[in-house]
Amino acid sequence: MKATTRILGWLAVAGGVWFLVPSTPRAVAGAQEPEDSARAEYIGAETCLTCHEDQGQGMGPHGSAAFTARGIHGCESCHGPGSLHAEDPEAWQPRVTDLSPAARNEMCMTCHSGGEQMLWSGGAHDRRGVSCIDCHSVHTPQGAGQLAKATELETCGSCHGDIRAELWRNSHHPVREGKITCSDCHNPHGSGNDANIRHATVNEQCYSCHTEKRGPFLWEHAPVRENCLTCHNAHGSNHLKLQKTSVPFLCQQCHSNVRHPATLYDGSTLADQARASNRIFNRACLDCHAAIHGSNHPSSPYLGH
Amino acid sequence: MLSRTTMRLSILTASLFLVSSSASAQMTFRIDPIVFQVLETDVDTNSAKFEEYRDLGSGFRIPELFIQGVTPDGDRYLELSGENVGREDMRFGMRYGVWDSYALSFDYNKIPHRFGNNALILWDRSTPGSWTLPDALQQALQERLEAAFPAINIALLRSMIEPLLAEGDRIDLGLRRDRFGATLDLGGLDGLSWKLGLKHENRTGTRAYGASFGFSNVTELPEPIDYDTTDAELKGEWNTAKGGLQFGYRYSKFENNISTLIWDNPFRFTDSTSANAYQAPGSGTIAGSSRGFADLAPDNESNQFFVSGRFKLNSSWWAGGSAAYAILTQDDPLLPYTINSSIQGIGFGGQSFDATNPNSLPVSSLDAEAKTLSLNADVGGRLGEDFTLVFRYRYSEYDNNTPRIELPGYVRYHGVWEDIPRITVPYSHQRDSISATLGWDLSPANDLELSYKVSQVERDFRETKTTDEDIVRLSWDTRPISWLTVRSSYEHGDRTYNEYVPQAAEASFLEHGPFTSLVGLRRFDQANREYDQVKVWAQALAGERWSVSFGVANRDEEYPDSEFGLVSDEVLELEAELAFMISEASTFTLFGHFADRDSFQRTRQSAATPSTSPSNNWSLLATEQNDTFGAGYFGSVAKWSWKSNLRWTRSDGEADFDTPPGGTPAVAVDFDNYEDIELLALDLNVEYALSEAAAIGLWWLYEDYTIDSFILQGLQNVLPGALILNADNGDYNANVLGAHIKFGW
Repeated sequence: MKATTRILGWLAVAGGVWFLVPSTPRAVAGAQEPEDSARAEYIGAETCLTCHEDQGQGMGPHGSAAFTARGIHGCESCHGPGSLHAEDPEAWQPRVTDLSPAARNEMCMTCHSGGEQMLWSGGAHDRRGVSCIDCHSVHTPQGAGQLAKATELETCGSCHGDIRAELWRNSHHPVREGKITCSDCHNPHGSGNDANIRHATVNEQCYSCHTEKRGPFLWEHAPVRENCLTCHNAHGSNHLKLQKTSVPFLCQQCHSNVRHPATLYDGSTLADQARASNRIFNRACLDCHAAIHGSNHPSSPYLGH
Repeated sequence: MLSRTTMRLSILTASLFLVSSSASAQMTFRIDPIVFQVLETDVDTNSAKFEEYRDLGSGFRIPELFIQGVTPDGDRYLELSGENVGREDMRFGMRYGVWDSYALSFDYNKIPHRFGNNALILWDRSTPGSWTLPDALQQALQERLEAAFPAINIALLRSMIEPLLAEGDRIDLGLRRDRFGATLDLGGLDGLSWKLGLKHENRTGTRAYGASFGFSNVTELPEPIDYDTTDAELKGEWNTAKGGLQFGYRYSKFENNISTLIWDNPFRFTDSTSANAYQAPGSGTIAGSSRGFADLAPDNESNQFFVSGRFKLNSSWWAGGSAAYAILTQDDPLLPYTINSSIQGIGFGGQSFDATNPNSLPVSSLDAEAKTLSLNADVGGRLGEDFTLVFRYRYSEYDNNTPRIELPGYVRYHGVWEDIPRITVPYSHQRDSISATLGWDLSPANDLELSYKVSQVERDFRETKTTDEDIVRLSWDTRPISWLTVRSSYEHGDRTYNEYVPQAAEASFLEHGPFTSLVGLRRFDQANREYDQVKVWAQALAGERWSVSFGVANRDEEYPDSEFGLVSDEVLELEAELAFMISEASTFTLFGHFADRDSFQRTRQSAATPSTSPSNNWSLLATEQNDTFGAGYFGSVAKWSWKSNLRWTRSDGEADFDTPPGGTPAVAVDFDNYEDIELLALDLNVEYALSEAAAIGLWWLYEDYTIDSFILQGLQNVLPGALILNADNGDYNANVLGAHIKFGW
């Protein structure tokens, strides 16, 4: 079945290319353009700044001497030739924000099509009509990478409010403390991987920082090897160690063997010290199964040490 | 690879070289800003939670530093940045570059992670991987147990340990990551650019470790951590107007400088064997090992090759793909079965052997190797005027080629040889998925998208051979009026398995006895599953000043055929946000997020053999409410500027158990502190501009954190069957006052 699926996958892709390539290209929706816009000419950034001086302040790289020195048309690199606007500012408003998301993105990708942006096309943000300037600001950047907001967390959180809230939970990665950022794990410009993560799989992503869990080990824990997210919520949790639910109940969502794995550990073991069980308090199961991510010890088939 | 010292020296030397060469290149420098700050901190407890990932102790720091130099033609630039300079959480960055030629950057990032303060420990750290007790003490405790045997009970054990703990040592548990990174970017050589990245991280510290001698003698210890991770990556990129290609090689090496942990048994001075090693010390036995012995994370390596690219097929169609192939290896020497000298191993032929001798093992090291392969291929573009189409195929596999090792038995809890032959299980899995996404531009203000995805996971050595999942997703984005955007989506997933072999759970047994688990499917990662997910998010812009957004999301997972384990999991989320631009110079924001989660799981309690009676079932309905609320105000008037943020987050969880009457267990007691946590955080920053180049300011941070968790309920260092660290990561109330002066030239 695996081979069949793979073959079907490649056939589908190949068929898609063959069938669809001849289709009619569609013009990118742009801003309103005067009929005679083709006769517009470049007038230079200095002319633009005579009226729009404030727009030229604090632009960062796009306002630098190096940018204009490379034969790029300054303001008009993005806004287009400005002679018509200079002649009659009311008649022709070359505002990038008036363009469709696809047209804005195409403009930015004239220069920024490689590197991080190489896999933009077809990614989730592209398909859902997110444009570059939804996150970045050319004129008034507030954060690194020309972000319109001061931090990545603010930027990403403005749409992904659920994730922003999870980052405020008790167990979390140090994102809100600024020690790592969303883009350490995700490439918002598209990666080709699920959830735009940078590495090919969730586990490879996690191993990039948690290298001690990479293994392979003598004794493996199958669901751990398959997907870290089986047990953890990477963005935040109120349970220890980003667990999706708390031990011992997390373990009992899979393990129901005889004796202690399926034993009920309830409130009675908490209220009465005489009945206390070290399988519910503190590290619970992990006090004995300490090597839960895998063990290299010959005597540890139960991932004890 | 470079050692830590070599790398640090290299960075320092290179930095000095660049700074001096930049100066000679007549750069114009700008410092904006550099902030000097003094903090005065008042915290009412010693909870590690307050400074979990940060350093806010009283004293001096430079919270912000940015220096930028550029030549008159703009061709060369140098940037130096710093955060929290002088602190445990400081970070430095440096970038030097020449446009169209190269860029060199360095990053140094210290990341603390404090787990708990003031842990109480009986042991002494004699070597990095060894926690010891004085021989005389161990001997005295063993003799006292021998004298009292069989009248051993929890009260006696507690009375033996508690006086000793009074003289125990206090230790703060926590790690610190020291990360160095260097990147050389060579750009623009006929469309070909190269990037070389080097990274080294050292992790040092301690974290809690379950160093158990059995059910009745759990001894929690600080696990000593001293890890080095070295990464190197060489990446090429080839760009043309038609598309681009990225390709490269990535190397990663993990080294554990403390590979073993040995710790003394507080109740045992001489080695002996214990009948089952579960109950000692107790009324049945006081036997066991004098020392515990653990193999900490083994060194490992990863070598990966990757390539990805995307090309325009014509003006409206593109095709892309990526591939990554990695080899993961691990060949640490294996430790012996035990260091308990009284234990004799029993081989496959029935002959005895020395279980403390690593030569008794069938192999000296694992020689483990796993290969991972990931493939993506996609093609997409416009289909006529109004449609877009994307096909995607993904394949990934984790192919564990590690040889299976047969072991005649193992030592349980350092106390007894178990003559139960086992074989290691190199789990592997493969995933395939194909998806097609059709987008329809209904109108300039309405976009529909329908996607269908078929995926399959194939597993080796697990209960289900394959699981297949169909996922349908429909989304609708609309802007019915110019100031309103609504994004909505509905997703449905249906996963099934094709074969269920419960006995596969015991793939590590060479000789199969009676099955020890319930036969009903209980693995939620493989079980049949249906889920529905709805998301709606709307944003309204009122003029250029107001922005209001609302969102609702619901995900309902059901495991309809799971008799045991996770049966259902549902999350409902609501969010709202408001932003108001009071003036060009001031903005007010407000947001709230509310999440309710209900998860239901069921199992059946069994004695020595799997119970077949439903009356022995018990179930747990875990409910969690998470509320997060935030407000912020940023503004400036004349020479004054103000930043303030308020965050309040609260979780309220309950564990509701249920068990039918007449079985075992007969009674189930609920508890309502399934992680009840509250954090209120308020920070205010007021600044007064003395001139264009200088400002002074005050910063106040207030935090109030409380936690009521069943995990921590009633914790003491000595509890029945446990001697634990009981480190403080609980409630705190903190005030941090900072005064700063800021310059910018």
